[in-house]
Amino acid sequence: MAVPVKASIMITCLGDLLFPEIGAAMVTVLRRLGVAVDFPQGQTCCGMPLFNSGFHEDAARVAARTVRLFEHAEHVVVPSGSCAWMVKTEYPGLLKHAPALRAAAESLARRTRELSQFLVEVLGVTRVESDFKGRVTYHDSCHLLRGLGESRAPRTLLRGIPGVELRELPGADQCCGFGGSFSVRLPEVSTAILDKKLANVEATGADCLVACDGGCLMQMAGGLSRRGSRVRPLHLAEILAGGTPP
Amino acid sequence: MTTRAEFLDRVRREMGKTRGLFPAESAPRLARPQEAADAVRRQLVERWPHALDRFKTEFERIAGVFHRVSRLDEVPAVLARIAAERGVREIIAWDPAALGWDARAALEPHGLAVRLAPAGGDEADRRRHRDDAARAPLGLTGVDWALAETGTLILASGPGRPRSTSLLPETHVAVFGPSALLETLEQVGMMLEARHADPALAGSGGAINFITGPSRTADIELTLTRGVHGPKEVHVVFVDGPGGAA
Amino acid sequence: MSDPILATPFPRRAGAALKDDFLQEALTIATTKFIDLRKEAFATLPEGDALRDRARAIKEATLQRLDHYLGQLADNVERLGGHVHWAATAQEAREIVLRLCRDRGVKMAVKSKSMATEEIHLNEALEHAGVTPIETDLGEYIIQLAHERPSHIIAPAIHKTKGQVADLFSRELGGQFAADPEVLTAVARRELRQKFLQADMGITGANFAVADTGTLVLVTNEGNGRMVTSLPHIHVAVMGMEKVIPSMTDLMVFLAILARSATGQKLSSYTTLVRGPRRPGELEGPEELHLILMDNGRVRQIAGTLREALYCLRCGACLNVCPVYRQIGGHAYGYTYPGPIGILLTAMLEGDRSVKDLAHASSLCGACKDVCPVRIDIPRMLIELREHLDRDKIAPWPERALFGAARRLMESPALFHASARIGRWLQRPFVSAGRVRRFPLLGGWTATRDLPAVASRTFTERWKDLR
Repeated sequence: MAVPVKASIMITCLGDLLFPEIGAAMVTVLRRLGVAVDFPQGQTCCGMPLFNSGFHEDAARVAARTVRLFEHAEHVVVPSGSCAWMVKTEYPGLLKHAPALRAAAESLARRTRELSQFLVEVLGVTRVESDFKGRVTYHDSCHLLRGLGESRAPRTLLRGIPGVELRELPGADQCCGFGGSFSVRLPEVSTAILDKKLANVEATGADCLVACDGGCLMQMAGGLSRRGSRVRPLHLAEILAGGTPP
Repeated sequence: MTTRAEFLDRVRREMGKTRGLFPAESAPRLARPQEAADAVRRQLVERWPHALDRFKTEFERIAGVFHRVSRLDEVPAVLARIAAERGVREIIAWDPAALGWDARAALEPHGLAVRLAPAGGDEADRRRHRDDAARAPLGLTGVDWALAETGTLILASGPGRPRSTSLLPETHVAVFGPSALLETLEQVGMMLEARHADPALAGSGGAINFITGPSRTADIELTLTRGVHGPKEVHVVFVDGPGGAA
Repeated sequence: MSDPILATPFPRRAGAALKDDFLQEALTIATTKFIDLRKEAFATLPEGDALRDRARAIKEATLQRLDHYLGQLADNVERLGGHVHWAATAQEAREIVLRLCRDRGVKMAVKSKSMATEEIHLNEALEHAGVTPIETDLGEYIIQLAHERPSHIIAPAIHKTKGQVADLFSRELGGQFAADPEVLTAVARRELRQKFLQADMGITGANFAVADTGTLVLVTNEGNGRMVTSLPHIHVAVMGMEKVIPSMTDLMVFLAILARSATGQKLSSYTTLVRGPRRPGELEGPEELHLILMDNGRVRQIAGTLREALYCLRCGACLNVCPVYRQIGGHAYGYTYPGPIGILLTAMLEGDRSVKDLAHASSLCGACKDVCPVRIDIPRMLIELREHLDRDKIAPWPERALFGAARRLMESPALFHASARIGRWLQRPFVSAGRVRRFPLLGGWTATRDLPAVASRTFTERWKDLR
């Protein structure tokens, strides 16, 4: 490839404030694959929490600023299925009353991909060089699976790593119970759903639980650490980056 | 009370406010349903052995009991055996015009009492028939059609072919031959369209029943039980050859 | 009409359901079974997806000419000798049934399972008027004896164990019955057989009504639908007006996928096509057939947010896959229709305010939309209902203020990062090994889950080193 692929990172609010190591791992992986990575300044949140709770005018304002932030990006890569979904499927509708912004949103939607989709679809990569070793099980986050129709790319990438033993998670396609504000509006129900998920995770005997969504990881990590589980929750990027985890 | 005009006016008012969600069509209507039905019949003259195989498989899958004879005059012996195995001495049956053969004449020599539904009648006839049907442990009918893809028997009600014959007794036996077989639900639809378009048939029978196996429920702890209100057992006697009921 | 159950707020009702061990086990077993059955049924139907697309298109096309099809349906039902009534409200629908009972001297009515009659609380009205309604669907019969409401759209008594049913039958019917489904089914068969034969009136709903032939379609498994529509003198069918479809050909599309979606069967045991009352020469069948076409909040949605919910076939598939329904069961929802579609239908029937909590009883996972035979986008409409609650200020003002503040944070990187710094500072007493085990304002979360600490350096701060 003569001209390197340029990718702009959409770090997501959770990724920026709570899980910067995911962003760092993503940078490592992308650079290893020869991608020129940049990080447009001024990012905050994609606005999905506002949208999901029905504050659509507010969400539209946040969408408008995000669209402007990324207007010069060739490719936008997101370490979160739900944020990628928000940008790709909901932004154009939110901005439908402002034709120029709407067109810009449609352009952004085309240029935006969740990480595993970017690696497989844009870079054509299925095997990433990683020294990660471990028994791994993968959780399909709802917006990546159903919103973006993606269940293969993450598994393909995981299987491409020699040190990874991928164990299929029973009920992998079942919700982890996060659902954004749902997790605090109905915390008991959210926890009951999470308990089912974690029982399945532990039953696989895996030492590592992988997902492609910050919200799911926050929920599942919160449950795993509360019950003192030895299962390590990791983002796909961290597995692909390999190396000794912090 | 709301009148038809008021109700439909309200519907129209709301309809006028929207174009709908997307362009959509209902199923294309057959221009000449009788011809389509005839074409299906012609097709099945050749294909019936294949349809029969499929029917038997599906029928047995839903706990139907399948019998086959070559000639109509072999049917009474089969019926006598089914009755004897269940200690049945009295049966209720469609009348000869509906059945295509005379059940009373054929079965009384085997020691079975056969009650027929009189065509037409007054309240007293109705009560008597209802008592007969409620008492008889076995009901004998023909079919209008037998659907191979699901193992379904399709029976239209009418004079001499009441609904209760296939509903009240614990055992239902249906006798039919090759000309009743259909392969797909779609073909059933064509037959029903043709029937409706035929003035002679359109008014016949207040009910058409699709019977797919015995009566069943799983309402208690999802445990399947049969014979809730309708028959516990459904039998088919298929007659290959001449005199096969249709 | 307010159910006493609604006096308890929804989160508490949900909490109580979570603590009910019987219910939890019953829900897990039942929903898992339904999910597996449905999966298997669609695995053996290669044209399944195409059929679902067609079914959805037929529903939408019907709505686009709804007045025509309703008129055609009525004309054809009347041509076959039936009577058509038009009910704008639940009350009107009840009054029509009660008037028929009065005029015909009906003392006892047998009922086949009908969510439409549940919706209008018909049984209470009948009892008040001195008419005894007898539910004949086994699950409905059980809950009627127990004085409860159904907890699932197609399996009303799945919250009851066989032991509970045996005790119930023993108590209400007199006798000692074993906790064996075969035995209990036989008891119901015997008891209800008498009722069928004696009843003055049969009351049903209708899964579909075919406009061009005036045909009512009942999809059942037990045989009670057939009994109820052929033995009593009068048959009354109460039907939401949106159940009308154009033709028999259309009907086959729905029949191909309805039972598979609901129970995994290719077809239910009985599909009954009712074409008017008894014909001359027929010994059986009702002398009178009455079809009550009901609005009750539906017509308003033709141009409303919940239009797509009018496609619903009432199969229950969405309930079985919903992570919330699977945890709390049907009663906790508090209204006639539970589960994902139930929230939409409740809003349709009772108004937006009725779902101020229920609209949030969803993680928006989308499993419901995945299995819906007519591909109703339930999550989208839940979000739109939430938008109504905010727009109409039904959502409490602290919530609106909180999200307003969140929006300001999202519009200002300076504020966003300042809040991270504040968070780092506030969390200090509570952080251990990178985790927060409890935190005053987030007790809902930290009661059961740890929180990640705000990172000592955000990604934005680390970028300087990474670039």
